[in-house]
Amino acid sequence: MDQPGQLSAAQRSRIRRLSQPKELNPDEEGGELNIVPFLDIVMNILIFVLATVAVTFTASIESTPPSLGGAGVRSDIKSEALNLTILIVNEGFSLKASGGNIATGCNGVGAGLAIPRNSGRYDYKALNECVQKLKGSNPEFADENQVTISPNPATPYSDIIAVIDAVRQTAQGEKLFDDVKFGVVR
Amino acid sequence: MSVPIVRYKAELRKAIRRNAMEPEINFLNITAMLDIMTIILVFLLKTLGESTAAVPQSDDLRLPKSVITTEPPQDGVVVTVSKTQILVGDQRVVALPSRESMVQTGVGASFKRNGPSDLYVVPLGNALQAAGKTDKLIRAAKGLDSSSSDAVIIADETTPYRLLMEVIFTLGQSGFGKYNMMVIQSKQAPGNIN
Repeated sequence: MDQPGQLSAAQRSRIRRLSQPKELNPDEEGGELNIVPFLDIVMNILIFVLATVAVTFTASIESTPPSLGGAGVRSDIKSEALNLTILIVNEGFSLKASGGNIATGCNGVGAGLAIPRNSGRYDYKALNECVQKLKGSNPEFADENQVTISPNPATPYSDIIAVIDAVRQTAQGEKLFDDVKFGVVR
Repeated sequence: MSVPIVRYKAELRKAIRRNAMEPEINFLNITAMLDIMTIILVFLLKTLGESTAAVPQSDDLRLPKSVITTEPPQDGVVVTVSKTQILVGDQRVVALPSRESMVQTGVGASFKRNGPSDLYVVPLGNALQAAGKTDKLIRAAKGLDSSSSDAVIIADETTPYRLLMEVIFTLGQSGFGKYNMMVIQSKQAPGNIN
């Protein structure tokens, strides 16, 4: 029996029931899609793309193909110019200018290989110093920026690119020979 | 006898107050962040897909390293010389012999008109002329000089000069006035003199 002034059992149970916080139905919960797996995929692709981009910073070296007929390289420079040609041979670099073959050690005109290999490796630093010296030998050569590179048939592409890098500019960033032509050996 | 209805209602209000929970955050609103990320992703994929600078590096094709910092070319016919094949665009035109053979005769006499010492590679020339026509139409539509085309050479670092020379010579014969050689920018390039 209920005590006077006390809530009845039925009333207490109704209070308990009605005072419970309302649970929302699943379809009433703001209508949000579960995009977390999608987000994972997007994040992964994004990181992958960013990583790939950072690795392959490419550049390009511009040149013109040999003229029709293959008689030689396109050359639009005057005859009194330096007309520098670098031959990449197995033993090192041989340099030829309009005056003749550059002697060993880059000392004037004479016989021999201008820059032999240094302890088995191509000496790009010496090549750079030599072309710098040749360009500085006459004020008329100051504007000349064309060089012909004639590698051996077996010379790998990476060595050719290294030579182009070495004759492009001085260590101080001054321009040397950045217009590269390739010699065609017939 | 039960209590008056006023007492019951007061008890009910009190119970509701007692049980009321703090509003719970059961999901984060990441829509704005997702929008930004999707835009960045689409932008990056588009940039990557459009530029010729996207050269996948593999054992078959590894670009040489250079200290040069010029911008890669945006257009032109792409000629890819890997260790095993030559491609124009995505089309394979020549399968290459061994490296020793390439040093002697380039792609081999069977692809040439006048024996092994010839420099013109017939299948490559045919593919380049077809690609060159398309490139000239594109250049004309873009309002650029369409008298000659540009080529982009993507070659493996071990490619012997003999083969490279044949590719360059064939380019010249097929009406390409200029070509760009793709390299990877690196401070560790062998030609770095600093």
